[in-house]
Amino acid sequence: MTDFLVELGKNPRARSLVQSLGLPIPLPQALRRDRGPWRERPLADTRMAVGGADGAQLTSVLAECLAAAGANSFLALRASDATAFTAPGETFGRPARPLEALAEKDRVDALVFDATGVKDTKGLRALYDFVHPLVSRLARSGRVVVLARTADGATPEAAAAGAALDGFVRSVAKEVGRVGATANLVIVANGAESRVAPVLRFVLSPRSAFVSGQPITVSTRARAIAEPPTVRAFEKKIALVTGAARGIGEATARALAQEGAHVVCLDRPADDGPTSQLARSLGGTSLGADMGDEDAPAKIADALKSLGGVDVVVHNAGITRDKTLARMKPEVWDQVLTINLGAVIRTTAALEPLLRDSARIVCLSSIAGIAGNMGQTNYAASKAGIVGFVRAKAEQLADRGITVNAVAPGFIETRMTAAIPVAIREVARRLSALGQGGQPEDVAQAIVFLASPGAHGITGRTLRVCGGAFVGA
Amino acid sequence: MQKKNKRRAVIVGGMRTPFLKAFGDFTKLDTIALGVAAAAGLLKKTGLRHGDVESIVWGGVILPPTQPNIAREIALDLRLDPGCEGVTVTRACASGLQAITVAAAEIERGNMDVAIAGGSDSTSNATIALPPKVVHALAPLALGKPTPADYLGVLSQLTPISEILPRQPKIAERTTGEVMGESAERMAKRNEITREAQDEFAVRSHHRAAAAIASGRFDDEVVPVQSPDGKWIHADGLVRADTSVDKLAKLRPAFAKDGTLTAGNSSALTDGAAAVLLMSEEKARSLGYKPLAALTSWSYVGVDPADQLLMGPALAMPKALDRAGMKLSDIDLIDMHEAFAAQVLSVLKMLGSAAFARARLGRDEAVGEIDSARLNVHGGSLALGHPFGATGARMVTTMANELVRSGKSTALLGICAAGGLGAGAVLERVE
Repeated sequence: MTDFLVELGKNPRARSLVQSLGLPIPLPQALRRDRGPWRERPLADTRMAVGGADGAQLTSVLAECLAAAGANSFLALRASDATAFTAPGETFGRPARPLEALAEKDRVDALVFDATGVKDTKGLRALYDFVHPLVSRLARSGRVVVLARTADGATPEAAAAGAALDGFVRSVAKEVGRVGATANLVIVANGAESRVAPVLRFVLSPRSAFVSGQPITVSTRARAIAEPPTVRAFEKKIALVTGAARGIGEATARALAQEGAHVVCLDRPADDGPTSQLARSLGGTSLGADMGDEDAPAKIADALKSLGGVDVVVHNAGITRDKTLARMKPEVWDQVLTINLGAVIRTTAALEPLLRDSARIVCLSSIAGIAGNMGQTNYAASKAGIVGFVRAKAEQLADRGITVNAVAPGFIETRMTAAIPVAIREVARRLSALGQGGQPEDVAQAIVFLASPGAHGITGRTLRVCGGAFVGA
Repeated sequence: MQKKNKRRAVIVGGMRTPFLKAFGDFTKLDTIALGVAAAAGLLKKTGLRHGDVESIVWGGVILPPTQPNIAREIALDLRLDPGCEGVTVTRACASGLQAITVAAAEIERGNMDVAIAGGSDSTSNATIALPPKVVHALAPLALGKPTPADYLGVLSQLTPISEILPRQPKIAERTTGEVMGESAERMAKRNEITREAQDEFAVRSHHRAAAAIASGRFDDEVVPVQSPDGKWIHADGLVRADTSVDKLAKLRPAFAKDGTLTAGNSSALTDGAAAVLLMSEEKARSLGYKPLAALTSWSYVGVDPADQLLMGPALAMPKALDRAGMKLSDIDLIDMHEAFAAQVLSVLKMLGSAAFARARLGRDEAVGEIDSARLNVHGGSLALGHPFGATGARMVTTMANELVRSGKSTALLGICAAGGLGAGAVLERVE
């Protein structure tokens, strides 16, 4: 579905007219996206401003990742930290230069700040000093990424400074959303340094177009993978996507197939037409099952057993049956809870023996579940339940190298949101920091990232894909 | 290294035409005529019986659309035995070396004993193609019986005029749309190669080539060619003995406003051909030839054209060394194709970098430094010019002769090519 204001904003004349007349019309920036397959150098020829507080611990991780991904780094670092960039620069022909070498007129594609050295309130000043002069030079669809450490064992003062980064990033996200840019916080546990690069490749690239204003924690909880692939990451992998007939499920199935997965597309038998058509076009398998049925999990397990197991499970199937609580009938409550939460839990249990090592489970939560929503007590309960489920299930499966995560979409342009009355829909779209709704592909990209081998540092988490619409979590 | 009892292909001799700037005296000689001139010179010099040649393997980049298998045309024009077959190979700027390695492989497999391999290109005779739109529009007239309505229909399709004019031919990458000079310009920037370093390198290439010509060093490998106008051309036309860093410094950037690449430190569009005679070692000795050298190993690689288009030799040369069981320190002479000074200097920098070796070659130590004393001792493409298909054969000829003259034993070749390709080869003198 098209968003009139985004379309209007794409016309430079209309854009400058609206702005010069000072019309009270928000013109959201059309977001840069990358719909093609994953690239070896997703950040090719981008300009990265890299800063860090004293005692920054991740500069060498940054140096390796940025040069290998094709980015040109401009450093605002102490000389001793800047040396980490020499060898990677030489290897990939991406010599890091001092920030001053950047021409006045040049925009910056991303601001990356290593805040792992921030130990107290004073240390936060370095963050301000770095971002303040550069934020107005951020390119359209640019990125702000702050790296921090987990609070485990930190002094109260250090913990305060760490939490302060969170507030900073969320607010920056609101400010830079105007130009289609995002801001995110990457929190790195001790020992998880080697797992950061794939996360940076995602948050710095156009694939994270609608992910903004949130912390992403990289931990050592799940067993690590040696050298996860950066392209064709799903070669020889079997992926199950439920609710694949349309919308987010379809986009996810397509994105997984594009990276080389054999996708098992599952939807209700009533949707057999679009499901098998999709499966055929992707060279995958079609599977008809109603997630509300008792025997659905067993049926799915049988089908996957014949394929020899499963590497990726995307629990996308879900329904809404909105009514305010006072008017909600018990059948409707049961139906939503059964399909959105019960079926996910039972299917996961049925598939557990079939999960290969280092498998990935991704569930669909929702901003409604995190923030609450009028008329959605049933839906929100089921989607908040998912957040709890992935947290606990991740613990159980971590030793097998299996991760369990959720994505929580905000306002996404799907058939479901197209049905919302026009006035409410307009307001809902503009609520996000980016001033627009997301596309099903944006959610699919986040799911594919969490399902990739490189996401071995992330488990038990819920990743919001909401364009910075929501404050909490 | 080559096993003693294995069949081995050896280089018996090589010959090339002078290399001239495109649209000069060779304008009226197409790539076939140039190839014939080089191969005829080679046959005359070696005194080989025409009937002994079993195959022509020829490399070319700009191939005539109506007779792309120029190898066969050269064989026929040379009046070789009709049984001498011909195959044309193309691997962009590595086509000449490709032809030689194909011939060597055929000989070592036992499929033949004597082959002439080489390559030629005539940029002057590049076909200027009509845009597909015109071709498609004209199709109903060319095929079938057109009615007046068809003529009108064609006319209506051929507007606006700007869309149907032939395009200026340019050698741009199909995937990136970049002209090669633009890619090299980006490499210069990314590897921090200065304008001064490039100009110095180019001047050295010219001075060395000029010295080689002056000393008669090339007389053994360059055959004079008569142009259709009756003029005899004896020497390469692009070499400038009197150039200097000061002179080159005055040239304006050619590919980017604030760039460092100029016409002076980039290779020019060139017409020319080069041919090499390969035989099985047994056959060569039985015919009474003294083989010059043999190819110990070779390798071809590909890199992402959008990244560093011309870095291929930095991967191909170490790979060829590995296959030969050698290290860079075992090599006496190095000959690299000089597409652009910036490209050669970038590759040298990569070979000298331990960080590069770790990440891109999976080894701890750098491949090694290459000092100018053993690199391109008689100049390279910057000075001599670069007829795409001929360059590889020119390099093999010059290095084989140099090994014999100097009594040295090993040479390493490196060639970058369009499409992100790279080639490397190790030559060894044959006792």
